[in-house]
Amino acid sequence: MSAVSSSGWLYGAIQRRRNRGLGGLYLVVAAFLILYAVLFPGILSVGGFSKFTQNWFPLALVTMAQALLMLNGGITLAIGPLVSLGAVIAATTMEGVFGVPGGIVAVAFTGLAIGAVIGAIVAHLRLPAIIVTLAGSFIITGVALILLPRPGGFIPDWLSNMLAGHTPVAFLLLVVVLLAWKAFLATPLGLGIYAAGDNPVGAFRSGVPVERAKIVAFALSGLLAALAGLFVAAQTGSGDPVIGTPFTLNSIAAAVLGGVGFLGGKGTMRGAICGSLLLSVMINVMFFLGFPPVAQYIAQGLIIVGAVAVPELLKSWRAKR
Amino acid sequence: MNAVKSIFRNPPLLTFVLVALVWLVAGLTLPGFGAYGHLRYLLELAAVIGIVAAGQTLVILMGGIDLSVGAVITVTAILLPLISPIWDPTGLVGIALALAIATGIGFLNGAGAAYLRVPPIIMTLAMATFLQGLLVVVAGGSAVTVSNPAVILLGQARPFGVPSGVLLWLVVSAVVLALIHRMPIGARFLAIGANPLAARLSGVSLTRNTLILYALSGFFAGLAGILVLGMNRQGYVGIGDPYLLTSIAAVVLGGSSILGGRGTYAGTIPGAILLVTTTALITVVNASPGWRSIMFGTLILALLLISGREARR
Repeated sequence: MSAVSSSGWLYGAIQRRRNRGLGGLYLVVAAFLILYAVLFPGILSVGGFSKFTQNWFPLALVTMAQALLMLNGGITLAIGPLVSLGAVIAATTMEGVFGVPGGIVAVAFTGLAIGAVIGAIVAHLRLPAIIVTLAGSFIITGVALILLPRPGGFIPDWLSNMLAGHTPVAFLLLVVVLLAWKAFLATPLGLGIYAAGDNPVGAFRSGVPVERAKIVAFALSGLLAALAGLFVAAQTGSGDPVIGTPFTLNSIAAAVLGGVGFLGGKGTMRGAICGSLLLSVMINVMFFLGFPPVAQYIAQGLIIVGAVAVPELLKSWRAKR
Repeated sequence: MNAVKSIFRNPPLLTFVLVALVWLVAGLTLPGFGAYGHLRYLLELAAVIGIVAAGQTLVILMGGIDLSVGAVITVTAILLPLISPIWDPTGLVGIALALAIATGIGFLNGAGAAYLRVPPIIMTLAMATFLQGLLVVVAGGSAVTVSNPAVILLGQARPFGVPSGVLLWLVVSAVVLALIHRMPIGARFLAIGANPLAARLSGVSLTRNTLILYALSGFFAGLAGILVLGMNRQGYVGIGDPYLLTSIAAVVLGGSSILGGRGTYAGTIPGAILLVTTTALITVVNASPGWRSIMFGTLILALLLISGREARR
């Protein structure tokens, strides 16, 4: 009994510590959401909420895919191509013999397999992740272009309506994904991803299979990115071999906004999700206020730098006092 | 045997040997590949990558990375025709202004990394996003034609049969190699890349060197932008995009560690030539864009396996 309560106390203390750096982010996200609700009260209806979360969902998935790797001390530049490939495979397989389930399995399997191969190359051949994923992004883009040289393919209407219709299915799916992540973190391998990112040598000596953790991280990341592609295909009703391109940079930006560090082990998934929500709200607000896409780029650049710089400056200012 | 071993331990030399092998095999098997005109054209293309990669090498040696070089090239190529004053017949004023802008952008990157403590990958990425937006405002999305005589001379002239872009690359190579290996500041860059804390405790100013390095990277990207403009005679949005990834790939193929502290520009030079040759060979094989992309990625991976491996830790 006492063991349970003391571990419960420890758990609470650790969670409080991990939340501390995120307080500012939570406030900013809440402020933006309130601003959004005031500007566009439509978000408070079921349909409006569904549409809003549908815009956010793929970004949230790719941010998780990126954050997962950054927590493990890696990075991937292959997110965008994987999203495109996922969309292309969904749009080309769903009219086949196995129908929609076959298409979903094909997308999931492709994502997992590509991720695992990239992870194996990075882990066993000791090549830097940034370069391997860069080379991988060319290969994946090529495969997507061969499968579907120009936008097209077929997504059943009922699937589009289910995922991207007037019901908050996307939000529920995100909740499921987050719960699955929480459960995965409770397994030794899930914790090992964090541990190997924070201190590879220490983790290795404590019995964490560092290389396997890295491969699993890449595979899961590939899975998430490919599933995001499936969703994007359902949203647009067709496949497009270059539709994922913006997701690479946005996934990094959202993860960094959410306080995930580049060196591994620093940051939280909830922060990354918040970061993606912030980025998504910002893009939405600017879009609805009629900002030209140009101004969106400029504002995005400024906001990303600001979001990273302000906490750092505050920290050094506090340290000086 | 010992000679072979020492080649494998020396990445720049290894990359040079690779280039020589590829050129030899391609020259013997592909008609027209070994012609002087074709090789000269390859070197001309490699010069642009080489010059961008000069700045990228310096930044990577210090443990940073510059993801804004593509955007800086585009900015220079579009702004130069617009800001070249009409009263200046030589066109040098326009070049100086464009280089100053490029260096300024690099300096801002450095300031963000040094003073605001933004990780370089984010700072330069945000800068690239920012510039992308700014460019559409300035240029309105249309291509601009260059009439600046100095730029056209740089892009088109061939003193003694050698393209002036290649000559410019030779000068840049000499300067950068001297900077890294013969001057105290180069030793400081490498020291910061190897261990920032130890370097700072030994009295190396992180702030100052970061500012200098990113400004240099901006300067070299600007120089490459002017060269590209001279070769194309037109600047348009997206002209610099292909050079971002190739500049990083050239550095890594040359055996420099992406983590900093270890490497040399002497490896980046054959790295750039190798990349251009690879792309040229892929174009020779008449394939669809998809297959070309796959071949390019696979070849980079294969080349990495030979020359870009991080040391086992």
